[in-house]
Amino acid sequence: MIRFNSAGLVLPAETPEQEPRTVLAPCTLALGERRIAVIGANGSGKSTLLRMINGLVSPSTGTVQVHGFDTARQAKEVRSRVGFLFTDPLSQLVMPVVCEDIELSLKTSHKNRDARSAAALAALARLGLEHLAERSIYDLSGGERQLVALCSVLAAGQDILVADEPTTLLDLANNELLQDTLDALDQQVIYATHDLDFAARADRALLVSGGHIVFDGPAAEAVAAYRRLVKYGSVTA
Amino acid sequence: MSASHQMLLGHYLSGNSVVHRTPLALKYLIVLLVGAAVLLWRIPAVGLGALALSVGLFALAGPRVLRAWAAPLRHLWWVFVILGIYQSILNTPLFAVTLVSGMLAAVQCGRLVLLTTTQAALLDGLERAASPVRLVGGNPATIALAVALMLRSIPAIATSVQEVSDAAKARGIQRNPATLAAPVVINTVAYAQRTSDALAARGIMERS
Repeated sequence: MIRFNSAGLVLPAETPEQEPRTVLAPCTLALGERRIAVIGANGSGKSTLLRMINGLVSPSTGTVQVHGFDTARQAKEVRSRVGFLFTDPLSQLVMPVVCEDIELSLKTSHKNRDARSAAALAALARLGLEHLAERSIYDLSGGERQLVALCSVLAAGQDILVADEPTTLLDLANNELLQDTLDALDQQVIYATHDLDFAARADRALLVSGGHIVFDGPAAEAVAAYRRLVKYGSVTA
Repeated sequence: MSASHQMLLGHYLSGNSVVHRTPLALKYLIVLLVGAAVLLWRIPAVGLGALALSVGLFALAGPRVLRAWAAPLRHLWWVFVILGIYQSILNTPLFAVTLVSGMLAAVQCGRLVLLTTTQAALLDGLERAASPVRLVGGNPATIALAVALMLRSIPAIATSVQEVSDAAKARGIQRNPATLAAPVVINTVAYAQRTSDALAARGIMERS
């Protein structure tokens, strides 16, 4: 279970004339559904909200807890439970060859080199990617790269996956492939997206606007609220 | 990231040749011996012999690796030409041949290690080599990862230079190094930030 306890991020003013900037207004949430979508305009605070779950961003007010661990003070424990998938897989993949990158995720859990290689191949096989094991990450298509990045996250065995616009850079076929792959996972998945069809597949959706969560409910209703917000400037119009 | 940038540095080419299977320590020893030989015996026979040896070792590693032998020449031929002309004028043409061939041989032997060894194996080797830092409270794994990240960053920055240069050309702006510097530096800092986020998110290296 993920809990936001009045958690928010307000950046202090840089000059006396400026006002402090609210990136994410304090919010209280309990996120337990299997699939949760986060939607909203660019710069609305979606990524900040997601990054708080993994501890990449610490709240300036309140706390965020994952399975009872505080994301700001117990980042190591949190990250062993929460994987994070970035928009651009090349930002995420560190090693030049696919299996080497998966092995990097397993370095702590598998000290023996051969056991680590076998575990990396098994992790690739679970997503049907074993044929990519020896390929350079630079030779892969965008979709393959994102699936490999997903595999590198899942290999570490976390039970929550946070994905920040994972389909944004993908073509239609790879977009659908990734959505189906995410759908089939046992892990809880929380994802930000601009693809409203993808958002509508979730069990619950949060609509973020100007640093505030302006709608929290069933995904279909959140998508409808977002459309109203864009068209009329209000979720209730 | 362009393939040429990868090939220039030496990007692992999978294979099962005798060179691929040679232990990392022995590969390093060959690099050391070739480097020492061309430094200590500055005669054409040693320089050209070392160069021929590098071609032989590349051939032994398989046709894909052999095809990669010429990559530095395609991109950096002008460096070797300038060096050769400079040494011909300053010393003798024979010395220029010795120096350029010896230098190229040493570079090629170094590249052969990168072309025939997985980065994971390189990291493991480096980690073992750096293990004495434990005595002073250091972490060899962190040192090895830092080197891996440095290797990964070089082609990324080269690609950034190329992209900024292309963007400037597309807008009709002259290729002025001063104009290109600021966006490349900003891109590099952003790249470093993304890498840091990715490592932190994967729990590989916590940010302070």
